[in-house]
Amino acid sequence: MSDDAKSGLDALDEGPRPSDPSETVDAPAANPDDHPSVAGLMARFGDAVVHHEEVSGGQHVVHVDPARNVEIITWLRDDPAHAYNHLADVTCVDFGGGAPLQVVYQLFSMEHKRSLRVKCLLPLDGLEIDSVVPLWNGANWLEREVYDLFGVTFRNHPDLRRILMPQDYAEGHPLRKDFPLRGRFSRAEQTRRALAQDVDRFYIPSERAAGREPQEVFFPDPDRPVPADAGDGQG
Amino acid sequence: MGLGDMLPGGGTSRTSGGLFGDGGPAFLTTKLDFVVNWGRRNSLWPMPFGTACCAIEMMASAASNFDIARFGMERMSFSPRQADVLICAGRVPYKLAPVLRRIWDQMPQPKWCISMGACASSGGVFDVYSMVQGIDTIVPVDVYIPGCPPRPEALIYGLMMVQEKIRQESFDQHYELRSEDPLTVARPRADEAEIVGLTGPFGNSTRQEKLSAAGVSAPEGPLGDAADITQP
Repeated sequence: MSDDAKSGLDALDEGPRPSDPSETVDAPAANPDDHPSVAGLMARFGDAVVHHEEVSGGQHVVHVDPARNVEIITWLRDDPAHAYNHLADVTCVDFGGGAPLQVVYQLFSMEHKRSLRVKCLLPLDGLEIDSVVPLWNGANWLEREVYDLFGVTFRNHPDLRRILMPQDYAEGHPLRKDFPLRGRFSRAEQTRRALAQDVDRFYIPSERAAGREPQEVFFPDPDRPVPADAGDGQG
Repeated sequence: MGLGDMLPGGGTSRTSGGLFGDGGPAFLTTKLDFVVNWGRRNSLWPMPFGTACCAIEMMASAASNFDIARFGMERMSFSPRQADVLICAGRVPYKLAPVLRRIWDQMPQPKWCISMGACASSGGVFDVYSMVQGIDTIVPVDVYIPGCPPRPEALIYGLMMVQEKIRQESFDQHYELRSEDPLTVARPRADEAEIVGLTGPFGNSTRQEKLSAAGVSAPEGPLGDAADITQP
């Protein structure tokens, strides 16, 4: 085997190569006056706004203190001068190499036609942050997805379960950079566990009834009890 | 009193409507195998299990340009209880594996299975943590159709191969082909060594730690260096 091929295999052993965290975290600070909301944020929250940069030609990114994320985002949403009333996305980025995970809130103001990206950097040994579901119900599944794939725990989330992977998935959080591409178990073990899933237990009755009573699922009537046998799963 | 006396016209049709034309015989003799297989292979109702782009081609096969109704697949049976052939069109993630297995278990005998496309047959490009590496680890497969996705002609050819397979079946093989062990319901079709062999390292992925398959080594691939990639 040639040296080139060997080094290729070694690269496989090491897993995906992390990008240099310094490139992303310590990008040159942009001028806060370029974006009215950033200037407002810095004036009001001071040290809680850790960093500000401009990426992709006009997308302003602020890194904020993860302990105060809800407070800051609430202010951005409710202050009429900013009015970021639309939460476009909640997601997460892992740059690998032990760099902190970045929880990303992509905000948009319908009123002012402005967008702002808010990031919270979480160290790998403290992957916990307050949920923004009280602000936007739409964050519910987005935060579940971040929890499922990155292992970030959202405090005060009403229903923090896995959403994409099986509920009894035991191999970890697949989109983390330290996760092997094919998973941690052998294919035989993965197949065995997949077929041993208790699909009837993993889904709450309203989810299992989704095919039958969409009205119940999307506009639940709190006075009406959920039928205990909704979806017996036996066809 | 012979058979001819019991049948109208003594077994032949005097006026019209004989099997081989007017005046011909009104009955024929054949082999039970032949007539049963003839009935089975010309009234295959597919159970469409479409999960990805292959399903688009499967829909095209059912639509008027290709029209698999010509081959006896008169309608797509969206209930496994009234289906004869399972067409798994598309990739199957592990989360969906129990669903596929349950649908297969719900189909009554006789039943056949087609694995349509690269992903259903082998995992395709999705050699990743979430994807079943070939549905033959979950359910028994009769015909594999290559392609990404296969053209409707390929699906029709695959269905004709199933028909050909049915044509060659015999009641002698009934127990072997059609009996099912209730204990195998919801179990993987392949055992551990076979799954490891089927899904063994193809060199395009990172190290696979084999926690449960210790002692089961993957077969030597054409690369010969596969052992360098796979940990014991």
